[in-house]
Amino acid sequence: MPDEILLNEAAYTVWQTVKERGPIELGEVVRITGIDQAQVSATAIEAHEKGFFEIAENEREELIVSDGANDLLKEGLPEQLANKALTEAGGEMPMSEFVEWAKQKGVPVNEVLKWGTARGWIERVKTNSGVKVALTERGREVGTDTNNDFDIFVLMVCVEKKASFLDELVKKDAAGLDRLRHLLGNRPELARIKKRITRTLNLTGAGFDALMKHVRVVKERNTLTPEDLESGAWREIKLRPYDVTLVAKDVYPAKIHPLRKIIEQTRRAFLEMGFAEVVSPMIESAFWNFDALFQPQDHPARDMQDTFYMRHPAEVPLPEKGPEKGVRNLLQQTSSGSTEQKVPDTFFDIVEQVRRTHEDGWETGSEGWGYTWSPERSKQVVLRTHTTAATIRALAANPDPPGKFFCVGWTYRNETISFKHLPVFHQVDGIVIDEEANLASLMGTLQEFYSKMGFGRVKFKPAFYPYTEPSVDVVVYMESRGKWLEMGGAGIFRPEVTLPLGCKYPVLAWGLGIERLAMLRFGLSDIRELYRPSLDALEGVPLCR
Amino acid sequence: MPIVNIDLAWLNLLLGKEYPTETLRESLEQIGCDVEDVVEIERSRCPQCGSLVEHPLGQEEVKSCGLCGYESQTPFKPAGSQQVMRLDLLADRPDLFDVGGLARALRGTLGIELGLPKYETKWSSVVVGVDPSVARPESYRPFIACAVMTLPPVGEISLIAIMNLQENLHWGVGRDRKLASIGVYDLDTIAPLIFYRTIDPDKEPFVPLGMPGKKMTGRRILESHPKGMAYAELLADHKRYPALVDSNGQVLSMPPIINSEETKLKLGTTRVFIDVTGISQAAVTKSLDTLVCSLCEIGGKVETVEIAERGAGKRITPDLKPRNAEVELAEAKRWLGLPLDDKSLIESLRKMRFDVQSTNGPSSSGRYLVSYPRYRTDIRHPVDVLEDVAIGYGYANIEPRLVKSMTVGRPRPEEPLSDRVRQILIGLGYSEIMSLPLSTEEYQFERLRLPTPERYPEVANPKLKTYNVVRTHLMGGLFEALRENRRRPMPQRLFEIDNVVELDDAAETGAAEQRRVAFVETGRESGYATARSVVDALLRELGWKAEYNAIDHPTFVPGRAASFSIDGKPLGILGEVHPEVLTNFGLTHPVALAEINLQRVF
Repeated sequence: MPDEILLNEAAYTVWQTVKERGPIELGEVVRITGIDQAQVSATAIEAHEKGFFEIAENEREELIVSDGANDLLKEGLPEQLANKALTEAGGEMPMSEFVEWAKQKGVPVNEVLKWGTARGWIERVKTNSGVKVALTERGREVGTDTNNDFDIFVLMVCVEKKASFLDELVKKDAAGLDRLRHLLGNRPELARIKKRITRTLNLTGAGFDALMKHVRVVKERNTLTPEDLESGAWREIKLRPYDVTLVAKDVYPAKIHPLRKIIEQTRRAFLEMGFAEVVSPMIESAFWNFDALFQPQDHPARDMQDTFYMRHPAEVPLPEKGPEKGVRNLLQQTSSGSTEQKVPDTFFDIVEQVRRTHEDGWETGSEGWGYTWSPERSKQVVLRTHTTAATIRALAANPDPPGKFFCVGWTYRNETISFKHLPVFHQVDGIVIDEEANLASLMGTLQEFYSKMGFGRVKFKPAFYPYTEPSVDVVVYMESRGKWLEMGGAGIFRPEVTLPLGCKYPVLAWGLGIERLAMLRFGLSDIRELYRPSLDALEGVPLCR
Repeated sequence: MPIVNIDLAWLNLLLGKEYPTETLRESLEQIGCDVEDVVEIERSRCPQCGSLVEHPLGQEEVKSCGLCGYESQTPFKPAGSQQVMRLDLLADRPDLFDVGGLARALRGTLGIELGLPKYETKWSSVVVGVDPSVARPESYRPFIACAVMTLPPVGEISLIAIMNLQENLHWGVGRDRKLASIGVYDLDTIAPLIFYRTIDPDKEPFVPLGMPGKKMTGRRILESHPKGMAYAELLADHKRYPALVDSNGQVLSMPPIINSEETKLKLGTTRVFIDVTGISQAAVTKSLDTLVCSLCEIGGKVETVEIAERGAGKRITPDLKPRNAEVELAEAKRWLGLPLDDKSLIESLRKMRFDVQSTNGPSSSGRYLVSYPRYRTDIRHPVDVLEDVAIGYGYANIEPRLVKSMTVGRPRPEEPLSDRVRQILIGLGYSEIMSLPLSTEEYQFERLRLPTPERYPEVANPKLKTYNVVRTHLMGGLFEALRENRRRPMPQRLFEIDNVVELDDAAETGAAEQRRVAFVETGRESGYATARSVVDALLRELGWKAEYNAIDHPTFVPGRAASFSIDGKPLGILGEVHPEVLTNFGLTHPVALAEINLQRVF
């Protein structure tokens, strides 16, 4: 047994109409049932695809009556008026008299002659006494009863309906069809004849059978209501199908900030590689920000032009000699769980060892900078210029291998604002304290880190950084741009940095600017865009980026 | 970073063979020099002094001469073009600033010539007498080093190269002439003995470079000569100006500002006198050594000068004897992690133009004496030599690997908590913003109706007045965000999680940092109750129980603000924002706000 055929109420009406009236033109079904064209059409096509309807497509001529036709018919067409006048004048008028009559009545003479001749009512006759306008035999026959002429009759009928198919009007009379085409098809003030494809519907045998035996009528709705569900009425209800290719309204989720997402990705990369997270104060002493990194006190980076110095607080004490406070302060800055670390012996002389290293190299094997180191400059308070201030503190508190530490945080430079620079931005720094720390393991660590950051292809170039030796520039291949880009600096801390802090092993160190990475990832050319709190902009960055 | 143009034809001439540009580029990148590109550079001729002037890249015409300082109304006459390689200068390697120095390094990496370059010197018989007045505070520029050089007759191209090298050394070593500045003279125009002394700003006038026929005093030069005005600041505190004067009383130069017109280098000059003066002995020596070694590479011969200081005896400059560092194979392997042996260590160093000798005879124990040239002023520790081993070995040839030790990854405790808070707020429909932690008194205090405290984390020297306070709360950033979005559909929900600082004498650096979260909601329905619901939800999800107390807080509507605390420890505040605050930020809908300290609870 064939499946049950579910029809909504409208479709059922279409089927019934076609059964009763078929073959029937689709427009006719629309007119009779009052169901809109799209729905009738959809029902017919669906039924046709399943073999229940025949659809015959015909090209047909449609007579469309012009808006002014009715008025023209009431007044009388020019040739009708002329026929009357000529009949009353005894069947003919001299041309001059006729022109005079036409002028008085406001009837165009050429129209009269054109259409009167076409209808075979009127003719121009040349006689010895001049040109006359005369009724033909048919003209006399018609007389004043001009509305009985076939095409005028048709037109009067059609005015009611506005549009009709010619083949219906004249059935199979080919001559009559030609006459209609000739008399109405060329008079736009009365009507137009337009060609149209029409579809005629009819039930097939299978369709008739289905309608009798398998069709069930269901109710169709746009929405499902709780009442429908409770009452069980949903079983009888068909939810109207939608055009699923159309777009719906845009909605956006609340999200993590795009830059924060990159920071979190960076943190995860380090944590997965066994690094402990550390922090250091943003408001930092020049000692930890510069001196501990063997940055000479006259280095241009320390100028007021480049570094923010604090008014409050303006000065802080240098790390103390005694184990208690100095070490406790350092330990506070490293990760939880680092409480077991030993108090390094050398720590107590840290300031002194840094001073000596700057001045003459101390025991580091270096020449030093050859100047007199000023503790006052070291006590100045700055907004930290790099997160290396955090990793160097971690190194001072954990000088023995193995140790891996990282810090992500705000860093500050005394810059004006431009598309390239902000006075404050994020950096990430990582260090590895290890007996096997060397240039080769630095490159391996960097390769692993950058691969976690999404850069599978990494190259290394010699570089020159003040507190690492050797130094390396990391160059990554950016798939989306199809080119190699410098992405960060790295190196092994100089002995002038590590030895005064009590660390006797090479220490790998590298850093990366987060904003630059974010700009490349999000395709931004202006760093300020990253901090614009516009919801439009924030919503515009998909989480997958 | 400045860029230097290196004449390619000249470079290949010095290398003794035409090398493909790509080979040179790769070779330079191996030693850390970035080649920007290779381009044709136009040159014009200065109508006054007749010297060639290079056009800056992309500039069709030039109207001023760097050599004589001539400024013209009309463009100089074109004088052909030259193919050049544009290089980023490496501040640490001034020996790679010029064609001679680069050729010297490339001969090593390309294997044309290995080992230490030798620089012979002979005595020039020129003596420079130093007057103690240059060491006095009111005319301070105490250090001087000099040399004489015999050059192939100076041509138009070599004149440009010498001038560029001089300027680049001013940048890279002299810190824009402050630490050290260089003067170069045609020795034939000078009558030795030369005195380094001071002159009265208003006496002893001379004709400065670029102004033939115009005698000017030191003060006039600082006031009206282009170079004088550019560097006047360096002598701003000087009561007398440093000067070099010859035995005829002719002023040769007034360092660090300008030389005299009469003593300038001319086409065909072969005998050159060079002085470097400054306030840093290291920078002075570095500048002179680098300059004369580079000039030797383009055919120069160095002659020494005697510097006679009253009371301090005599010195001979320059001293070009190589310096030594001791390097151990084992240490090189430890530091670099490379499969080095004696042979590859020596080869790598010789490629970098060092000489290597075993300290214990031919069958060594892996200890080597490395001799390095004077121009390698970046070397101050044996590890600096080890870096050259790695560069000579080739970074591209290094096999990356990982350390084997086991360490445990550990986040800071505030991070997992912040992340949980973030998840909860996003779940409640709040979008995260990030704002800069620098603000102003107006945004931190005034607009929020908060009194400006007597002391707060204040920056002393901001370039921008809009960034002089380190934020002490997160509210300002959220209000600015609401303002930015005020024409967007309501309601809006935003939050931020970040650190704020507060002055704290007990803290190590005088300020304590706190991790905080703050959120705002704005819309017709927003008010105390909506903020309270969110705080309740947050605390519930975190498993915290807090007590609420009414507070008076100027930012909030009276009677619609609360603080909350856990076990008596204050945790945060919430409330409905005062209409005056809303008006201060141009907002037209009510705002509910809360700020919570996350630092105090883990």
